[in-house]
Amino acid sequence: MIQLYHVHKRYPNGCDALSDVTMRVREGEFVFLTGPSGAGKSTLLHLLLVMERVTDGQILIGGRNIHVLRDASVPYLRRNIGVVFQDFRLIGRRTVFDNVAIALEIMGLTRKEVERRVGQLLDGLRLTHRAGAYPGDLSGGEQQRVAIARALVNEPAILLCDEPTGNLDPDLGHDIMNLLLDVNRRGTTVVVATHDAGLIERYGLRTLVLARGTLVEDRPRSGRLAPIERGPAAAVGPDPLATSTAATSAGAAAFADIAEEAP
Amino acid sequence: MKRGPRIGYVLRQSAQLVRGSPWLTAVSAVTIALALTLVGLFAMVLFNANHVLHDLGQSLSLSVYVKDTATQQDIATIETRLKQRHGVKALKTLTREQDRERNRKLLDKDLLEGLDESAIPGQPVIEVEIDADLASRGDVEELVTWTRAIQGVTSVEDVEFGAEKLRLLFAIVEIARTIGFVLSVVLLASAMFFVFSTIRLGVFSRRDEIEILSLVGATPGFVRVPFLVEGALQGLAGALVAMVLLGLLHLELRSLVRDVYMLNATWSLLPPSMVLWLLIGGPAVGLAASAMSVGRYLKV
Repeated sequence: MIQLYHVHKRYPNGCDALSDVTMRVREGEFVFLTGPSGAGKSTLLHLLLVMERVTDGQILIGGRNIHVLRDASVPYLRRNIGVVFQDFRLIGRRTVFDNVAIALEIMGLTRKEVERRVGQLLDGLRLTHRAGAYPGDLSGGEQQRVAIARALVNEPAILLCDEPTGNLDPDLGHDIMNLLLDVNRRGTTVVVATHDAGLIERYGLRTLVLARGTLVEDRPRSGRLAPIERGPAAAVGPDPLATSTAATSAGAAAFADIAEEAP
Repeated sequence: MKRGPRIGYVLRQSAQLVRGSPWLTAVSAVTIALALTLVGLFAMVLFNANHVLHDLGQSLSLSVYVKDTATQQDIATIETRLKQRHGVKALKTLTREQDRERNRKLLDKDLLEGLDESAIPGQPVIEVEIDADLASRGDVEELVTWTRAIQGVTSVEDVEFGAEKLRLLFAIVEIARTIGFVLSVVLLASAMFFVFSTIRLGVFSRRDEIEILSLVGATPGFVRVPFLVEGALQGLAGALVAMVLLGLLHLELRSLVRDVYMLNATWSLLPPSMVLWLLIGGPAVGLAASAMSVGRYLKV
């Protein structure tokens, strides 16, 4: 699903953020991306979202080489990649409902369809009672769930999370992880960037370790996957996405219709 | 699926932009309104002035006063010469007595009482009716030159020509046209600057939102359209206000022209074509200004 070949990223100030990174994330995988601050985790996520372009090397997402993707096609690529930021990046002047609805509205869905799908997802994430609230009125955990809802509402093939539990207390972080694992079980490829060693240790999933811009370790899944616990503060229900219309329907095929590659 | 944003979404977002800075939006709309009103006013004044000049040109006449010493032969020569001029419709020669009679009718009866007959001015005169379709200032200039030529003829005492006033009118209209053009350009430019600035502030205050929209896969068009619509809406509001202002000005000016100058001219500051121009021009000005602002400041 995600393939990097000898990816190099150098910033205009001469700083090498990534050097010769080669890796592959298969469809339906759950991968942690870790390393100390400045290791290149965020840069890697930025490259996957085409917020920045590689200096050298190739990145393939869903089989498409995003290095040669035209600027005009970038939005269509991003629609297949859900993204959750550490600071949530919710729009303060829009309600919870409207924040989640954005991802569908950009696709030109009818208001009715938007209402139906957002309603279902908020219901699944037990956020229905907060639909009319503004992000500023929500707790950190609620904001993170809204951000995840926005990332998932258009059923992307890939979900990228940048420190999704970083701003939350451990219990809430645990809930969010359970939610992400649920999403992954439904077929979405999930990449979680985190520097929380405890979190990685606890779940024993495949972990890519970056240090000073290079991939220093590709630690396979330990096999001792921690059971999905339902902590006492489990705001997320037994199957939060059960009411969602469908799991990630598309997989790699979702990227097939992103046309218009540069010659 | 490459579909643009829904109209409902765009209108909701544009309305939110307007609500976000109602005063700035109002100032922009009022600036556009003032600019359009003045441009409209200039356009209509010039249009109507040209119309009036044309009407005046239709009923133009020339009075050629002949010297007392002129013989019948001299008068006949002048008449022949006048008739040769292209566009001379008719000639009417009045003797001294006929002219005096005409003048007597023009004067107040009380004034004439006890007045000696010879005190009333009277002079042989040839009234020349000109069939000049005065479409331009050039026609008037040509007539003036011709009039001067007649004045040079022996036995012509004086030539009274109504077109001298027309010349002045033409000059005024010409100056008004230049001033109007310059003012219109300045006003429209400042109105556009206001819209440009309002949109720029809107873009700045929504930097985060724009970035988020872009990251979740919004196309540049999707992000820009609400700002463009906001600009066009400001222009439309300006056009509507301009229509009201022009309508009020029209009523005020019409009564002024009718009551003070007793001119029963048919004119309008707000003919259908003007309404159409305002409805197109207002939003176009707003759209152009917001497009410039968005193009310059909204990088997606």
